[in-house]
Amino acid sequence: MTDAAPAAPRPLIDSNDSRRPHGLLLVAIPVFLVAWLVIWPIINAIFRTLWRPDETGAIGFNLDSYVFFFSDQYSINNLTITLWTTLMCAILLLVICLPISLYLRFSAGRLPAYVQAMAIFPMFVPSIILAYAFIRVLGPNGMVDIILNSVGLPKIRTPYLTPWGPVIGLVWDNIPLTVLILLSGLGNVANQAIEAARDVGANRFQVFWHIILPRISNSVLVAISFAVLGIFSSFTLPYLLGPASPEMMGPFMNRTFREVNDPLNAITQAVITFCFCIAFGLFYVRSVARNQGK
Amino acid sequence: MEQLAPATLATRRPALVRAPTDWTGIIFAVALSAAVIVPLLVVGVWAFTEVWRYPNVIPQQFGLRFWNQTLTRADVWSALTLSLQLSTVVTLLSAAICLPAAYAFARLSFPGRNVLFFSFLAGHAFPKFGLLIAIAAIFLQLNLIGTFWGVVLIQLVGTLLFMIWIPVAAFQSVDRRMEEAARDVGAGPFRVFWSITLPQAGPTIAAAVLLSFVGTFYETEGAWLIGAPGIRTMPVLMISFINNQMVIQYGAVLSVMLWVPSFIALMFARRVIGGGAFARGFGG
Repeated sequence: MTDAAPAAPRPLIDSNDSRRPHGLLLVAIPVFLVAWLVIWPIINAIFRTLWRPDETGAIGFNLDSYVFFFSDQYSINNLTITLWTTLMCAILLLVICLPISLYLRFSAGRLPAYVQAMAIFPMFVPSIILAYAFIRVLGPNGMVDIILNSVGLPKIRTPYLTPWGPVIGLVWDNIPLTVLILLSGLGNVANQAIEAARDVGANRFQVFWHIILPRISNSVLVAISFAVLGIFSSFTLPYLLGPASPEMMGPFMNRTFREVNDPLNAITQAVITFCFCIAFGLFYVRSVARNQGK
Repeated sequence: MEQLAPATLATRRPALVRAPTDWTGIIFAVALSAAVIVPLLVVGVWAFTEVWRYPNVIPQQFGLRFWNQTLTRADVWSALTLSLQLSTVVTLLSAAICLPAAYAFARLSFPGRNVLFFSFLAGHAFPKFGLLIAIAAIFLQLNLIGTFWGVVLIQLVGTLLFMIWIPVAAFQSVDRRMEEAARDVGAGPFRVFWSITLPQAGPTIAAAVLLSFVGTFYETEGAWLIGAPGIRTMPVLMISFINNQMVIQYGAVLSVMLWVPSFIALMFARRVIGGGAFARGFGG
């Protein structure tokens, strides 16, 4: 075996063989696609908006499109409504998903299994169907109005085509992943730690605040980062459920690109959304990388 | 209905659980059922409704008339065929390029392996629609806007992370000792891969392939931005049905039809999604 004839069986870990870069060939195409269709568009977008001809035609560093965005009241309103929607969704997601995950972590049986199935179910409902269902239930003369009317109550002020429409839809859409991420974080909380705290007389809230929360704070941040990345530039739900003006960044970029036919300003808006989300994106990548490294 | 089901479940719970009645659970179960199941039920009812005027709690007339009308529309059929074509092409391409890559990431060691492995996260670290706009600007120069292959490319990029990370986990969980044993008795590398590695990693890989097919089928934003006006996939058609509000039932029938592949995915993907591995993949 030490002579290592070419026909001999290969060792358990191919330590010599595997150092060869032929693995690179196998991963080349997907890596090329990421470089071409993720990395390059981002670099290209930044350079195209910063390094371009000014009025005189001289090519150089030029911030005009950004200056325009931040001096245009309509753009500012759109950015504000996007930030507001993202913030509302993040708060609501935590308020809804944290109790559900805590309940699921500390109980067993068929009822919790049912609750978990319900919480994860929206993952399998495409957002386009969700948008349609939302209109049929909460829209004008929708199911909620029908039920209220049948018991003699006045109609609701429908959230359809108001800023609350996208908030409700996006929260619904993001519940499954938030619950899954929080549950995975709660899996790291040892039962002994909680029992020890209970033994010395801590009540439920104290246990949550001093024992559970510090241990899941990273998962909470990951869940929020993931939700923020998805919500900040979401398109389908705000486009179908939200107001026409002000509109969220997703529909705004879409309109600038397609209807106004103004790629430069659309890219500027895209770069601005990147800037607002960069911290969440970096945090998300760091957490995933750390988890995979374990 | 949705009050009854959880309650009966609750009474059947084993007695050794602390609380006698799990009120928290019942409240969650009822609230989630109302928020998740009821909207879908309403859509389901609309699909089989012929007449439903406002103040009535239940439709005046049920029937399949609108199924007929929806299914005889030419735009529905062309959108459905197009969506199926797109999903098939994207999934096959994705499997062809991602599965060998996944095998390489799981088993071989090569320069830059870790950096390249995590590079697939890049597409998920940026707000998606912003990234799509940046890509669309490049496609505009390449004349790929409004073409089949432009949409294929954009949707292919969307499947990369799933189609590499899930199979990598699958290949890594294959018992290396069994491969060793097969090699010791003289099986060649290809034989080992075919008879030992693939059967063990197969189900998870199949789930990943299915997820990418269904994910592509429902992909809306890329198809909407890159595909218009030439490429009208099923979700894009659905957007125009919702926006133009012609006949309520068209949207309902399409929703029920579109729901079927999603339901199949739900059944098959449970094994992948059930594990904590899925949430960890998202950084939980």
